[in-house]
Amino acid sequence: MSEHHLRIDPAGTPRASVLFVPPLFEEANRTRRTLVLAMRALAAEGLATLLPDLPGQNESLVPLVEVDLARWRAALAEAASEVAGPLIIASLRGGALIDHAAPAAAWWRLAPASGASLLRTLLRARVSADREAGIASSLASLEAEAAAAPLLLAGNLLSPAMIADLGAAEAQAVEPLRSVALGADGIAGTPLWLRAEPGEDRDMAQAIAADIIAWSRSCGVI
Amino acid sequence: MGARTQGFCALGARARVKDMLVTDTPATAVDATLRALLADVLGLGEARAAALTDDSGLFGELPEFDSMAVATVLTEMEDRLGILIDDDEVDGEIFETYGNLLAFSVRKVAG
Repeated sequence: MSEHHLRIDPAGTPRASVLFVPPLFEEANRTRRTLVLAMRALAAEGLATLLPDLPGQNESLVPLVEVDLARWRAALAEAASEVAGPLIIASLRGGALIDHAAPAAAWWRLAPASGASLLRTLLRARVSADREAGIASSLASLEAEAAAAPLLLAGNLLSPAMIADLGAAEAQAVEPLRSVALGADGIAGTPLWLRAEPGEDRDMAQAIAADIIAWSRSCGVI
Repeated sequence: MGARTQGFCALGARARVKDMLVTDTPATAVDATLRALLADVLGLGEARAAALTDDSGLFGELPEFDSMAVATVLTEMEDRLGILIDDDEVDGEIFETYGNLLAFSVRKVAG
């Protein structure tokens, strides 16, 4: 993959690698710092960690309007295939919609989101911004518009193909998978991906790392 | 590296709690859900969320409450309260105060 990726390696030879699939769009910015803290915690436990830029996201030079979910899946599959040794894929939120084409020994998903719910929030942000600008729009009018031409949603210019993909996308079955939610019996922490202003949560980063390690161990990956 | 681990994974895949939906949720449960949701989206912290009263202003009053936050709150309300919200139900009024938002939510949950 010609995109940048952030890589944090352990001091010695890695026991295995963890490829993080970030949440999509703005949610990626809101969680990045905590994800990187989790990567550091995993590296301290002897795991190599990787956080790739998806085409059209973060530092990528690819215009987002040229991207659809199939391209993201292919980019992740390529990034995963370049990893030597056992690989665990760890996805957050919308990342779970694009993680199944990549070859891995085990999958871990935190608070997977449906594409329809992510799209609905993006469309609503546009409706809300339109209203403030004195323009009348609705989810239905925007969806009709998106069938024919790219649509700018909360700063993301998305193609008709991407919008159609996203509206129908669900996380796909993979094996073996651990899917965790936030909460007392999952990962203790707050849904930073929803937060209006970015924050970080060190304890949550530690909990993410510990859960991935426990899961990898129980699957015999490490 | 196409081979997948076949070993028994003791942690197991956990059922998602998201779809737990209680019919005829009492108003106090809606209130608690709503406060937690605003704390999550606006980063209010438990104390500020607990201190919200019916008269507490939201949109236009809390600096964190921008149009993206409004969109996020609506989608999370749908997910956590098990309701569907149409465009034409959303006017400026329901986000004016916490009391308005709570009354709207209780009405929606009651169906």
